Amino acid sequence: MQGFVASKLDEFEKGKISRRMLLESLTVAATTTYATGAMAAAAPDPALKVSIVNHVSYICPDFKRAADWYTRVLNLEQIGETNRDVNMPFGKQGEKPYGVTANDIPLTFLLTRTRDPNAVPAPNAAPPHRPGTAFISSVAYTVADYDRARATADLRALGLTDIRNDGPNSIAVTDPYGIGVKITGLSNTALTDV
Amino acid sequence: MERHIDALIKDLESGKINRREFCEAVAIAAAMFAASGPANAAAPRGFKVIGINHLTYDCADYRKARDFYTSVFGMQTLKDDGRTHANLGFGPAQGQGGSFLTVRNAPANAPKPGATIDHVCYTIPNWDEGKVVAALNARNLPQTGRPGSWHVYDPFDFDVQIGNSVEENAFRRG
Repeated sequence: MQGFVASKLDEFEKGKISRRMLLESLTVAATTTYATGAMAAAAPDPALKVSIVNHVSYICPDFKRAADWYTRVLNLEQIGETNRDVNMPFGKQGEKPYGVTANDIPLTFLLTRTRDPNAVPAPNAAPPHRPGTAFISSVAYTVADYDRARATADLRALGLTDIRNDGPNSIAVTDPYGIGVKITGLSNTALTDV
Repeated sequence: MERHIDALIKDLESGKINRREFCEAVAIAAAMFAASGPANAAAPRGFKVIGINHLTYDCADYRKARDFYTSVFGMQTLKDDGRTHANLGFGPAQGQGGSFLTVRNAPANAPKPGATIDHVCYTIPNWDEGKVVAALNARNLPQTGRPGSWHVYDPFDFDVQIGNSVEENAFRRG
């Protein structure tokens, strides 16, 4: 930067550029350098750039009750059930999310779990969770061919009554444990959601 | 199906279609009927979930969360009201499979749910173990877990997991 300023100043002093040109060139150089530096400081490391939600881990007193609700309402299949948890992928094995993503992008899944209060930690287990002060209050699911009227009718047919409008592109209900469940389509985006 | 074939017969009788066309039409109808049988039928009602559209993350200061998720995990601030919440996009383009995280200041007196989403795992494509660990260390984020699947805490001690498609796969044990 200093070398650039010196060269411009030299050009000005020799009458090669006007004062106005000097001012402009230095202003541009200074602001560009600043902006580049600021972006570099905030730029994420590509090694950590996330592409998709892999899974949502959901802990409740009765994982099976929650799983059955999500199976009934969202048609999620339960696989790999243990006495403490079950996976519910958004599709069949081998399917690709949205049919267009890369081979190393697995299907998203919901994992409902119940903690065993008497479980003995494994020798190399991670330390217990610290009590966080943030929480996920709702999950919005993208469904194929979303249509508000049809979705509302489907939920009513399932016996759900607390169906709420949630902006222009989604409707919401609450699951048995109080977590918000939004049903929406691809048209609901970070730019449209309120 | 019965009505459809009845209509075809009428067409045959009235001369609208000939015998060969009639046979073809019935065969096609039969094939379509078989394809829509129980094994291939769509759900009688309900939804075909294709992804997470967004998650709503409540915390004491959305700006702090916004800065963390954008600077560490490459999410993009696509909407920010400057007061209460921001929408952070990631993955494919919005409207084409991209998701977003809404970080917001927790509403006052929000009811406490009986369940907890204790962590969210995000997939990182083209996983490079050495680079992932180095990047976490460079940001002073102590990690627990195993190669291919690491947990860190965000500024509000919410557990964030990152993983690759091998270690974090719904069918791994299915």
